[in-house]
Amino acid sequence: MRRARACFESMKNHRDSNRLLVRHLLLPTIFLTVALTGGLRVAAQTGAFIFIAPPLVALVLSVLLMLLFARGGLIDLRAWLAGDNPPLTNVSHALTLLALFFASAQAFNSVLPESGLFRWMFAFFFLWTLWNNQFAAFDARRLLRSLAALFGTAFVLKHMLLASLYAADGGWLKRLAGALLEGFTQGTLGAQESFAPATGYISFFTLALYVLGLVLVPPAPGIDRRNAPEHEAESLVARYRRLPPAERSLLHEEILRTERGRLEDEIHSTRTD
Amino acid sequence: MQPTLIKSLGIAWTLLYAAFVVWIYATAPRTFTEATTGASVVAGTYTIDEARFRAARELFGREQYAAARDEWMRADPAGRDARTQFYLAYAFYREGWGRVYNDDALFKQGLEAIERAIQLSPDGALAVDDAELKIRSAAELKAELRQGTESSVGDLNPLKLVRERK
Repeated sequence: MRRARACFESMKNHRDSNRLLVRHLLLPTIFLTVALTGGLRVAAQTGAFIFIAPPLVALVLSVLLMLLFARGGLIDLRAWLAGDNPPLTNVSHALTLLALFFASAQAFNSVLPESGLFRWMFAFFFLWTLWNNQFAAFDARRLLRSLAALFGTAFVLKHMLLASLYAADGGWLKRLAGALLEGFTQGTLGAQESFAPATGYISFFTLALYVLGLVLVPPAPGIDRRNAPEHEAESLVARYRRLPPAERSLLHEEILRTERGRLEDEIHSTRTD
Repeated sequence: MQPTLIKSLGIAWTLLYAAFVVWIYATAPRTFTEATTGASVVAGTYTIDEARFRAARELFGREQYAAARDEWMRADPAGRDARTQFYLAYAFYREGWGRVYNDDALFKQGLEAIERAIQLSPDGALAVDDAELKIRSAAELKAELRQGTESSVGDLNPLKLVRERK
């Protein structure tokens, strides 16, 4: 019995240490690696590295994304930076959040075309999506799925479709688009810098790492909310409050339909007491 | 492991890695070699390739200045060695010098190299111990290069044709 207790204590200690290592060492490393590789391109002609610092629009998108993280419950800012936390914890958390901000900016930088009309179209669609999401009902899991889809789509558009469109040797899409747009643009789509295929691989690695980092981010560090029994109820109430009136009344009807008898009994017993 | 130790390690590592990322974007190395050279400069472990330096000096002695410059640039890829930069400037001077007129482009590059050499020498006064050179101090070479790029009435002096290259 004593040995089992000691074993349990040791496991708990390991679990706590591992959580701390993830939060204070692994997460900043992942996000800073994303910040490093997000702006990395490889020149098609020379194979030289080109480092592109995050453009202003990527920083704006990153701010919107951070707000979305806070709104969607992926990051509980009051738990990450709190007066009750030890100073060292707050400093470490602030650095991790800063790394997340720059990683987000570089993740956008990685999937934004470098110049031309497409760049502004991509930026506009990102802005539109993130702005709309600010007013949508989200939980952390749905937000993560939505972000993975958003970055995945942008990756396919930039590194597969646009790369083919502007390939130096004339990809299949270039020939097709040239033929389709011949009447409007004399078969050209404007200049776009072409990069070596390695750029696509680097971008893929960057985005995968970024999403992994987001999956590992604890919403409220130090508080194991997922195991707390009241968490499910809290989350249900929070989601209920975000529902539009029509859906709320639908929920009321459903609860009354299935739980009416039990609710009436509870009310009756409360009155008699 | 102690939580405080993990947190302190995390903060130190994050700051160090963030500084590395900023440094990479500030210097924008084009290859892994450039990145490692830059890192060794920052770490203070950078040294020039002495074999290449000597090979370049031989080429310089045979008046193959362009080839000598290429070798010196490979010997000191980061451009952090004052002596190599001095020789580089000297090679620009020798090749750019003309009895009637100097090659301004080469002299300007020579001036840039000698400026680097002066900045890199600890007290700004660099002297090279090489018996085969007529100019041995960085200040003198700089004056010679600067004079070569400036236009003056003295350029019309016919006696200029009898001057000799240093």
